[in-house]
Amino acid sequence: MSKTVLWWLERLLLLVVSTIVLFPIAWMFLTAFKTPIDAYSVSLVFTPTLQNFVTVFSDPWNLGSMVMNSVIVAGVTVLISVPCASLAAYAFSRFKMRGRKFLFFLVLSTQFIPAIVIVLPFFLMFRQLGLLDTRIALIIVNLAIVTPFVIWMIKGFIDAIPRDSEEAAMIDGASRLRVIKDIVMPMAAPGILTSSIFCFILTWNEFLFSLILTRRDAVTLPIGLVNFRTERGDLWELMSAAGVMITVPIFIMALLIQKHFTRGMTAGAVK
Amino acid sequence: MRDRTLQYVLLIPAFLIVLATTLYPLGFSLATAFLDWDLRKSPRPGEFVGLDNFGHAVTESGFQNSLWVTTIFVVISVVLTVVLAMALALLLRRTGGLHTFTRIILILPFAMSPALIGVSYRFMFNPEFGVLAKGAAAIFPALEGTPWLANPDLAMGILIATDVWHWTPYMTFMCLGGLASVPRETEEAARMDGASTLRIIWEIVLPQMKGVIAVAAVLKTIFALKMFDQVVTLTGGGPGSSTETLAFFIHKVGFKWFDMGYASALAWILTIIMMAISIWYVRLIITDKKMATA
Amino acid sequence: MAEVRLVDVQKYYGPFLAIPDQNLTVHDGEFLVLLGPSGCGKTTTMRMIAGLEEITKGDLLIGDERVNDKPPKDRDIAMVFQNYGLYPHMTVEQNMAYPLKLRGMDKAAQKARVQEIADKVELGALLKRRPSELSGGQRQRVALARAIVRTPSIFLMDEPLSNLDAKLRVTMRAELKHLHHELGITTVYVTHDQMEAMTLASRIAVMNEGRIVQLDTPQKIYSEPADLFVAGFIGSPSMNLIEGAVTNGVFEAPGVNLSVSVGDRDGVVLGIRPEDIELADGNGAISGPIYAMELTGDATLITIRHGTTIVCARGPATYNSQINATCHLKAREGAKLHIFDKTSGQRIEQ
Repeated sequence: MSKTVLWWLERLLLLVVSTIVLFPIAWMFLTAFKTPIDAYSVSLVFTPTLQNFVTVFSDPWNLGSMVMNSVIVAGVTVLISVPCASLAAYAFSRFKMRGRKFLFFLVLSTQFIPAIVIVLPFFLMFRQLGLLDTRIALIIVNLAIVTPFVIWMIKGFIDAIPRDSEEAAMIDGASRLRVIKDIVMPMAAPGILTSSIFCFILTWNEFLFSLILTRRDAVTLPIGLVNFRTERGDLWELMSAAGVMITVPIFIMALLIQKHFTRGMTAGAVK
Repeated sequence: MRDRTLQYVLLIPAFLIVLATTLYPLGFSLATAFLDWDLRKSPRPGEFVGLDNFGHAVTESGFQNSLWVTTIFVVISVVLTVVLAMALALLLRRTGGLHTFTRIILILPFAMSPALIGVSYRFMFNPEFGVLAKGAAAIFPALEGTPWLANPDLAMGILIATDVWHWTPYMTFMCLGGLASVPRETEEAARMDGASTLRIIWEIVLPQMKGVIAVAAVLKTIFALKMFDQVVTLTGGGPGSSTETLAFFIHKVGFKWFDMGYASALAWILTIIMMAISIWYVRLIITDKKMATA
Repeated sequence: MAEVRLVDVQKYYGPFLAIPDQNLTVHDGEFLVLLGPSGCGKTTTMRMIAGLEEITKGDLLIGDERVNDKPPKDRDIAMVFQNYGLYPHMTVEQNMAYPLKLRGMDKAAQKARVQEIADKVELGALLKRRPSELSGGQRQRVALARAIVRTPSIFLMDEPLSNLDAKLRVTMRAELKHLHHELGITTVYVTHDQMEAMTLASRIAVMNEGRIVQLDTPQKIYSEPADLFVAGFIGSPSMNLIEGAVTNGVFEAPGVNLSVSVGDRDGVVLGIRPEDIELADGNGAISGPIYAMELTGDATLITIRHGTTIVCARGPATYNSQINATCHLKAREGAKLHIFDKTSGQRIEQ
């Protein structure tokens, strides 16, 4: 095959890949701006409307409260897990303490426990404590999934920081805690930010816990989608509008940290 | 504070979280697995029944079905994802406008909520007004009116497609990371020796990627075993029980039938499978020196 | 100002003994260089002094105080790292001020002191930059400035010049020497570069396999290497080493006869530096085919094969011959001859 044919083939393949990636997303965005009648046709020509967004935020759907729940649950989960995980990640990265391998193995492996195993007992406990359908319940369960992952990810970032600067600071007169505060955390900041956003996305998209532990008050966005499946059938244009609401903040975050994001997830997974 | 004390102090908060949110519930559900606890009969745990719940699993058809469904799902989706990801990584490794663009948008499927992916594919494959169903019918008129999600095989196919669409980008990034650590010199040396591009990929690049591919495959297996969200939003386990994966079936036993004892036993069976695989996985990343330095 | 003493210091990494029984005194105000090949324990020794590595056994004294259990911050030392160890998220000014800030110096005094030192090492114009915006030489200067800004009692330098290009290294070397003269602070300096060691040191400690094999002034180390390791390690090109025996005050090896003042004995090694060998006309004592000729500018290094050994001589820059042509060499009049015991490697005094 000649060079030019290969060159075009490569670009053609990339276009196909991009189309496969973008099409479902694009279709959802289009549908979100269609009237119900347009939504039930495959036409690309339609008069865009914002009515669907108005509808999902009003009675009986009230997407607003779900947005609130999602923001609070994901936000608080990040605020609790990331600081704790950062300290643990530093310890794992820099100290050769007794039992380090075992402890790290323990953390790594909890990440692979199926969520359904954890949620069963939590359902029973929360039922007894009257915590079902509360945000606190969701936050607690989400911490289980997110924390080991974040430890792992941040450790990858801290491992990549050379020790020289830390040792220099210790000799310059800083205590270990001071070193962590003044040197390590600022240097690891991009990694910690990436991990935070990663953690936010995981929690934001979480479905199983919310499905089992919430009913009305603490329902999060992904479960909101299921609500649009009514006796009258699936309300696609409203689902799409809700889908846009779920997706847009996450896409913006993911694209903002694009470079670190890809590095972070491979660092987390490979190291 | 001395380092010797500090190193443990730093670990305490994270370990309290892991202990309270993972290890404790794990123990709790192990204990439940040995009890007769049917929430429809009583809110309180029933008597100790030994291995009855596990014994039940061996004979019960719903569990066996879900085991079979999960196996099919895992095998096909893992193979497809890893092969596609590796191919895509090779394609994307060079620089260029279109390459960069593709690399950036690849993040989107991974950032998208799996539940939403299920919903959107369900929409696109609706036989009456789904854009993909209509598109397929326009190209192949014979496909007009195909009940995509009402056919067990097609439903499974679409379920796998959503999963491959969701995970291939992540695995592609992993493979790209691995490719970046393959020294350019080995390829250049092979080119000087007169090898063609395909031979270079096959004989020089891929052998060096063995470790990364193995890790990607094991990791994907773990994720595939947990598959739940799209089953709910795409097929609801149907038609019939043809797409009831293990996680979905456990959910059904626990929260439709409210048989906590049996659900816990099944959950532990899944845990044991996953732990076995993840121990293997951790071995892989610990022993593979190249991965450690990559 | 202080003296550093290591008394029977041992360092184990797990079961591996990296440093066996080290004893070393660094005098007040001296410039001591730890020299040796990579893995010889020189960096470990320095890091133990710094407090970055725990000491398994033995005592480390700074002044008269045992500091084994003191964290680095309380040892009043400053260190320059091989990779500089700058704080990438701080400007040059903040980098330099950080040790002062940790000591609670007030802002105005910090600023004045930083300015003073910055001017001394010619960093005044770069204070607002970040390390990533500096060249290698400038980063090195910042690392140095940060070390001297608070006048520690001991300086530690871990191969500080090894990341610089050859030319800059020579300039910085002179600067370091001048700085030491000016400040007079006790300095311990680690390097594998013998040239650096020779030019900078008041005394050199040559290390091999965790032990100090010779501790002396550069002159002494060059002129009287304590054993075969030091003999081979110091000097470029290396000292020629020829195995043979001494009979009746004459060192004898195939084709070599040189009088030495050592009693008769077998199994000795004769050491002679290339600059102590010159060209011989006609049939000289040492002859063989030329293996390589390297012009260094002011001289030509002539390497010949003499039987199974290789002998290197420093000949005139004008020397001209061909590879494999026979070349005759002899020891220069009044050449310094070194005799070592072949088995122990130890020097035999003449």
